[in-house]
Amino acid sequence: MRIVLARVSLIPPQLFGVLLVTFMLVRLLPGDPALLMLGNMATPDAIASLRQRLGLDQGLWTQFVRYLGRVLHGDLGTSIFTSHPVVQDLIERAPATLELISYAMIVTVTAGVGLAVLSVIARGRSFDYVTRVYGLAAGALPDFWVGLLLIFFLYHVAGWAPAPFGRLDTYLTAPRAITGFYTLDSLLTGNWADLGSAAARLVLPVATISIVNTGAMMKMTQTVFAGVYDSAFIRHARASGLPQRRIIVIALKNSLPPIITTAGFLFGFLLGAAVLVETIFSWGGLGQYAVQAVINSDYPALQGFVMVAAVFVLLVYLVVDVLYELVDPRIRI
Amino acid sequence: MRRCLARPAAVIGLALLALLAVAIVFADLLAPYSPIMADPLHSLESPSSLHLLGTDVSGMDVLSRIIFATRINLLVGIVSVAGAFLVGVPIGLLTGFYRGFVSALVMRLFDFIQSFPVFVLGMALVSVLGQEIWNVALVLAVLFVPLFARLVRAEVLSLRERPFISAARCSGASDLAVMVRHLLPNALTPALVQLSISVGMAILLTAGLSFIGAGVRMPTPEWGLMVSSGAQQMILGVWWVSLFPGIAIVIAVLCFALLGDEMRRLLDPTRHRR
Repeated sequence: MRIVLARVSLIPPQLFGVLLVTFMLVRLLPGDPALLMLGNMATPDAIASLRQRLGLDQGLWTQFVRYLGRVLHGDLGTSIFTSHPVVQDLIERAPATLELISYAMIVTVTAGVGLAVLSVIARGRSFDYVTRVYGLAAGALPDFWVGLLLIFFLYHVAGWAPAPFGRLDTYLTAPRAITGFYTLDSLLTGNWADLGSAAARLVLPVATISIVNTGAMMKMTQTVFAGVYDSAFIRHARASGLPQRRIIVIALKNSLPPIITTAGFLFGFLLGAAVLVETIFSWGGLGQYAVQAVINSDYPALQGFVMVAAVFVLLVYLVVDVLYELVDPRIRI
Repeated sequence: MRRCLARPAAVIGLALLALLAVAIVFADLLAPYSPIMADPLHSLESPSSLHLLGTDVSGMDVLSRIIFATRINLLVGIVSVAGAFLVGVPIGLLTGFYRGFVSALVMRLFDFIQSFPVFVLGMALVSVLGQEIWNVALVLAVLFVPLFARLVRAEVLSLRERPFISAARCSGASDLAVMVRHLLPNALTPALVQLSISVGMAILLTAGLSFIGAGVRMPTPEWGLMVSSGAQQMILGVWWVSLFPGIAIVIAVLCFALLGDEMRRLLDPTRHRR
């Protein structure tokens, strides 16, 4: 528990660093932010008034303190494109992205660990070879391309998958928001039509992310699990006549810490992957919002998204460290 | 050489590298059409003997564009990683050798950079700097600097206490000589291995950035942009516009991943795999 507290106390300085980066992102880069925000057609008057409104005529440090103050009050500015407060936009879209990457995470980790365990047990056989080729190839696949191929083959050619536009069939209305996850909300409210549609729509994007990222998860787990599987205490367990399944469980338990670290890293990484995959599937989440922000030079929105992404990663790493402590008693003080 | 040929991964990697090199050097000879010449009368033609890989929305020849794009994609990948290597290695060496306040500060800065998902920060930086190909290279270089610096620093930290370093110091070598002559050659291996793999990562990131419109603009031939230009039609069954540039990306990234793997084996004789 002390580790948890010590770990939590690290969050404020990290958050400070994140805010410094997001602040500098827009302020310190070449060009006048007011001009960037208004575009090339802006009149000098408009630029001057926006500069004053944004406090750009003051010192950089004052600007940063003001920015900090506003962020702490939950004010991330107003999106130029949607003309809503950025915070509101982000909160509306976050569940879509979280639902997508949570399922992708579950599939990726399960498949990655599963394949790794099987390949270590089947060492030297063709299955082991196949997983190794897959591990190498998966790292070279662009996720946006895999998504398009899946759409082409499973939607256009085979007709198995639903249309790749959004999270729900167009004639359905979204379930009453409880968690924001359509699958969970429709399950909780007993809305079976929504549940079926939401689940079907998740299949392709989740498959896209998983196909690309399972390789890395699998390779990492293979290395760790093979090390444990060959260790003396596992050989002892086998010599003592424990059944194979029990041995695998024990070996897996001992490989957990590095697996958890990798999985945590992956979760943060998937937020970046979601940007591309959401664009392809018109998912309407944070990633698509960020792409719109890039295309429309909507800097407040972009700044907000980058900040949320970094905070998300910080939280994931916090959870990883806590889990790490739970599964690895050695690092307890 | 014979040992090298016995490894299929190395052979495939080198073969792919040769393929990419040929595409870069002989692009003008190989490409049947101009890569940027629009021909609206022949838009979205399926692969045929006239257009081997078909044409895209504006009637540009997909094959010619793929061949010419090799230059841009590989150049950005190699230049950005080379830049990151040249900046990151000295930083790693210095921060590993002098462990003062500045070193700690630099490492914290790297922590912050790395606490953002790579693609997210890359996207934001390119969008703010201006969506140009050299800005993509610059941003990728900045994002990769911490990677190389950390690898070198970790090696230096473990090497600096070793007897041969003390011996060099005792024989009167200056700080600079210890760093450059004794530490650098021994600390470089992990960074060298990372070099090739990073080029592959850079190519993937560049393509991804162009795909969402944060990289190069039409009509520049670039693989990610080409995939994106066919994305809308893919749903309608026009597969050739996006499929082939994607294969080019896979080939390029796979090539550098395979070479990276081989380099690890060659440079690290102590770690034989089963």
